[in-house]
Amino acid sequence: MARDLEEYLRPEVKSTPFCPGCGHGTLMNLILRAIDELKVSMDEMLFVSGIGCAAWIPSPNFNADTLHTLHGRAIAFATGAKMFNPKLKVMVISGDGDLTSIGGNHLIHAARRNIDLTVICANNMIYGMTGGQVASTSPLGAISSTTMEGNIYRPFDLCKLVLGAGAPYVARYSVTQPLSLVGAIKKSLTTHGFTFIEVLSPCHTQFGRRNRYDSPSDMLKMLMENCVSKEQAEHLSKEELKDKIITGEFSDGGA
Amino acid sequence: MGELKQIRICGFGGQGVILAGTILGYAAINDGKWVSGSNAYGAQARGGSARSEVVISKEPIKFPHVIESDILIALSQSAYDEYIKNVAEEDTLVIYDDLMVNPHNLRGAKQIGVPATNTAIHELNRKQVANIIILGASVAITGIVSKQALVSSITENVEERFRELNLKALEIGYNLGEEIK
Amino acid sequence: MKFEEIASTLPPRTYYFSGNEAVAEGAIAANCRYYAGYPITPSSEIMERISIRFKDVNGVFMQMEDELASICSVIGAVWAGAKAMTATSGPGFSLMQEGIGYAALTETPLVIVNIQRAGPGTGQATRVASGDLMQAKWGSHGDYHIIALSPWSVQEMYDQTIEAFNLAEQYRVPVFIMGDEATGHLRERIEVKAKVKVFNRIKKLGAPPFGTDQVDGIPPMPAFGEGEKLLVTGSTHNEFGFRKTDDPLVHSKLVNRINNKILNNQERIIKTESYHLDDAEVIVVSYGFTARSSLYAMDELRKEGKKVGLLRLKTIWPFADRIIHQIGGKAKKIFVPEMNRGQIIGEIMKYAACEVIPYNQTDGEIIHPHQIIRELRYLLNNM
Repeated sequence: MARDLEEYLRPEVKSTPFCPGCGHGTLMNLILRAIDELKVSMDEMLFVSGIGCAAWIPSPNFNADTLHTLHGRAIAFATGAKMFNPKLKVMVISGDGDLTSIGGNHLIHAARRNIDLTVICANNMIYGMTGGQVASTSPLGAISSTTMEGNIYRPFDLCKLVLGAGAPYVARYSVTQPLSLVGAIKKSLTTHGFTFIEVLSPCHTQFGRRNRYDSPSDMLKMLMENCVSKEQAEHLSKEELKDKIITGEFSDGGA
Repeated sequence: MGELKQIRICGFGGQGVILAGTILGYAAINDGKWVSGSNAYGAQARGGSARSEVVISKEPIKFPHVIESDILIALSQSAYDEYIKNVAEEDTLVIYDDLMVNPHNLRGAKQIGVPATNTAIHELNRKQVANIIILGASVAITGIVSKQALVSSITENVEERFRELNLKALEIGYNLGEEIK
Repeated sequence: MKFEEIASTLPPRTYYFSGNEAVAEGAIAANCRYYAGYPITPSSEIMERISIRFKDVNGVFMQMEDELASICSVIGAVWAGAKAMTATSGPGFSLMQEGIGYAALTETPLVIVNIQRAGPGTGQATRVASGDLMQAKWGSHGDYHIIALSPWSVQEMYDQTIEAFNLAEQYRVPVFIMGDEATGHLRERIEVKAKVKVFNRIKKLGAPPFGTDQVDGIPPMPAFGEGEKLLVTGSTHNEFGFRKTDDPLVHSKLVNRINNKILNNQERIIKTESYHLDDAEVIVVSYGFTARSSLYAMDELRKEGKKVGLLRLKTIWPFADRIIHQIGGKAKKIFVPEMNRGQIIGEIMKYAACEVIPYNQTDGEIIHPHQIIRELRYLLNNM
């Protein structure tokens, strides 16, 4: 991590816990960069996370109030803290399995209630910490430790899901689009109400190795090639869009 | 009857049995008594059986349900048939709605018919207040709570738009009770 | 002293509340200002009253999407500085168990009211039981300790709710009120006093929030937004909250402390009520609504000169082992009526030297005084 952001980290933290090639370290950097650019004080922030690799982005690393909770329930914990003390600026950072599978019900209801939270969902398309089992976000055909012959179920379109539940700000970017991502995080922090960013963050250890991305850079290359902006997507045929990941802001907070 | 009075009000769901019990309980509180009240009813809000029990005492109440009713107020035949089995032979006073209940011939228990539903239909054009009429009559007959306490209890517990109607029903019922006893 | 006398928000006088209404009022009196819950029979009147009454006191009421969310949002609110609670019944209590374990490990003070109904499964939603008492102690995984109270009247639903908040804050632990349908829906006269004694959370800025050298084992508890940069986790952690998930010493120290802070203080926590224990040959040990039946039964038999006594457990957990040991050495028999297949009797048998006789009923009905009188007569005639 860049030295200029060190003040945002707990002094006791000497390294990140993430595997080589993991996107979460980059995401950690980009979240702090957005906070730094907005000049938000870490004293105002509360970071809430669930269980899984992404839940370790804020806890224990961020030098602010952090609440590392149960698997799937981060948004419910965050709702209680925010509703009781609205002065807290509450950001939920967790993984796709945590926020959208075991915790999917809390996600849609917090969006429906328009609770003033920023939710950052680090989507690595797999259960990383538990050893690479298929997720509700794994692509069709993906090999995982529980789908050795390929995933037969469609993945969730998380942004559509949260949009359908009424969230005023919904965006999707990959860690390979750092500038857009910092912009989106800043926008979500300054938008009142429930804001949701799906971040594509590669997991080479559990996803890449099983799915023929032989090195971490292969996974990054895949994301760079497959991510297209929603504007670009408008000009692509259904066939051309087949393996693409559409990125951009799908609801911009009514601004 | 001793210091402790045990009252059981019964009928079918929708007759206002539970409300009558609650109003009676509040009235006894207004009189400065100790009260325990409990209800039993089926899962459905209308129809089915309903039962409200009120125990009133000058002292704290050990067991809060009715063990043997001193007063049984019955608003329907099926409820009457069910609970008449349990009345203590000698001392129980049975007050029933004379349109809804055809009383059994009982040795011991004193039974009084009150034209509650009949009066509710003919004088107030609202059969829903039969519960308050029979409660008013029962209070006049037994003196278990004061009339004033009952009036305040209705004022406190009945929604404003029905308050006047219920107070009128109470007045009519109380007078009926005075005449009957 | 961290106890403070505050004015009741409800005008002091007599009321005719249901047990569930009394719980809501007790919570408000104890300064509870966050409630999250999910509707479930027979407890829903608690949330209904809270939703109305919180408007008077600036409380935050949330009807959540399920019981998992309810308990978790309560924990979140507590760490944001609230006194908070939820109420539920059997199936909801089962769903909350994971959150209860989290609260125990993170030493989060909160109150859960369980208006018990007849289980297992959906069981009889409108009928009474006391089948969740062992679940209250053992429902979540791992070794932890909680406090569970057992009210027998509407007055006690009010008083114990206040006490539950005070115990939760004093010991930094989840506290359960193990009510039941019969007491929740019972209406009785209750006294609301002008002043309420409440325990205020102990704060000591800069001190470790998850460890202490004090003998009582209870660390101070800061809140989010106080600049403490708190690190709260449900994983094994050191005294500052850092995860130490592969350190045997840290784990055993933490688990031992969160248990011992309750067990070592149990003489201060446990409350019982004794009737005629001195000369009793048969002692009824009873709790909750059933204790009302037991009291009546004992009085009737005493009128006949029968040597019957009653020990009422107002606290279920931690268990009153010492007094049970004591009476078990004096009485000839202990009689335990329960609206379950025999739960607390197991604890009694661990500590009582005399014969312990069960009386169990699981039909969704209360145990009537006459049933207890009949059983006790039989016991007394066969001694």
